[in-house]
Amino acid sequence: MSAPTLPPDAAASTPLYRVRGLTRTFGRAGRVKALDGVDLDVSAGQRLGIVGESGSGKSTLIRLMAALDRPTTGSISFEGQEITRLPEPRLGFLRASVQLVFQDPRSSLDPRMTVGSIVTEPLRSRHLRGALGPVQAGVRLREVLDAVDLPPDAAGRYPHEFSGGQRQRIAIARALAPGPRVLIADEPVSALDVSVRAQVLNLLAGLVAANDLTLIFVSHDLAVVRHLCDTVVVLRAGRIDEQGPAEQVFGEPRSEYTRALVSAIPRIRV
Amino acid sequence: MSLLEVSDLTVSFGRRRRVAVDHASFSLEAGQRLGIIGESGSGKTVTALSVMGLLPETAQVAGSVRLAGRELVGLPESQHARLRGDLVSMVFQEPMTALDPTMQVGRQVAEVLRLHAPERSGRARQHVLEMLGRVGLTDAERVADSFPHQLSGGQRQRCLLAMALINSPDLVICDEPTTALDVTVQARVLALLDEVLSAEGAACLFISHDLAVVSQVCSDVLVMLDGDIVEAGPVAKLFTAPEHPYTRGLVATARIDQVRPGERLPTVEDFYPRAEAR
Repeated sequence: MSAPTLPPDAAASTPLYRVRGLTRTFGRAGRVKALDGVDLDVSAGQRLGIVGESGSGKSTLIRLMAALDRPTTGSISFEGQEITRLPEPRLGFLRASVQLVFQDPRSSLDPRMTVGSIVTEPLRSRHLRGALGPVQAGVRLREVLDAVDLPPDAAGRYPHEFSGGQRQRIAIARALAPGPRVLIADEPVSALDVSVRAQVLNLLAGLVAANDLTLIFVSHDLAVVRHLCDTVVVLRAGRIDEQGPAEQVFGEPRSEYTRALVSAIPRIRV
Repeated sequence: MSLLEVSDLTVSFGRRRRVAVDHASFSLEAGQRLGIIGESGSGKTVTALSVMGLLPETAQVAGSVRLAGRELVGLPESQHARLRGDLVSMVFQEPMTALDPTMQVGRQVAEVLRLHAPERSGRARQHVLEMLGRVGLTDAERVADSFPHQLSGGQRQRCLLAMALINSPDLVICDEPTTALDVTVQARVLALLDEVLSAEGAACLFISHDLAVVSQVCSDVLVMLDGDIVEAGPVAKLFTAPEHPYTRGLVATARIDQVRPGERLPTVEDFYPRAEAR
């Protein structure tokens, strides 16, 4: 799939992210190609779903986009600035603008830190302070806890005192604290009970709309992606198999593989 | 007489006797497939483990679990071990931890045969290869000689299924058997499970949090909440006309395909508010 199928207005403006020829190999002599020549544009306000099976390169792609890893070859520019070769101290602008929510809030939150210090940690970062300007940590803490429907007194407590769904709210509050433009969520509800998934998804959708966030949402759950995202990229063995508006990719998938993936979504059969 | 009759099963743990399953009663006929749905901590797995006799020693069990007429509560471990893998077997969620990493999978499947059917174990390898073939592993020879890490997730789960079925048990307990698998692999393993259960005529207790998966495998379903069975019935009725507000909430959240993209998703809380915000 080479023809970009973004909405015309989004294609006209400069994309927020511009990914070209992105390749990441692992192992001796680069035997494992986790990502193999990926081209991708993400425009401001887009809600992009990245789907694919395990090992397809979903997590590798977002780790590279968040500059948590460096590509073997290829380039990523964010707001027009190339990020793949920047040293950490100069990535502050990216760290302030792009925040992540991970799959399992049990392992992504430090059990020895209070919720308050977890959520405000991004604000204390040496590299972020320059990009953020002066921030009242206490004020911001109350704002983001309120935004994720946690009581203000949550700040003094520890992660283990909260349920899975609440912990994921804490992780979302931390991601919101520096006021990012982009939220990258890697399987944010997969580790949660079915009964709380919908709540966290509603919360995410509401926050994305209220704060004009760009959402990059990684999931193996195609039904959730279809609900939340306007565009979809299907990864297979490190390459983009198909991309386009969610409606088209799920409604009329063009590739054989995407069709198989969509038809494998479990549906209630009665 | 039903194949499995659970009555007033109560399981509690520890000195404080925290109740995990609270007076649960249900029965399962030969060849019937019953799904158990509920969130983590609702008692699904503890119920299954009490049928398997695999509860930890800290568990206190009361009530009755009768399998093919035999009372399992209070049964000595040595006797329970004889039933396990023979009359009743189990497929676990994570095949990588359920298989022994240091042993070729063919030998692991053969072990079940050797323990329970010594008269067949002379030609064990032949039986194992045949069983691996029946669970859709086309290159049974190679798979049998492989170690678990050399196989894909789907192949490992098929091996567990072969191990669970080789002694033609009357009851197979599946605890989230496809949760760790990719969707396309999940679809294939579920189709296979359906096929082999029918072929063997085995009954199945199928634990899952995924209502769609349960609806594809089971004819009947139980809903567990905080150790209680709050609703039970045929899949067709329970998923179209659920009565308990918690079930209504679960069914509504599982119907994500019926919500227009961008609209608010229904939550369980909309139907069944609970004191503690989760």
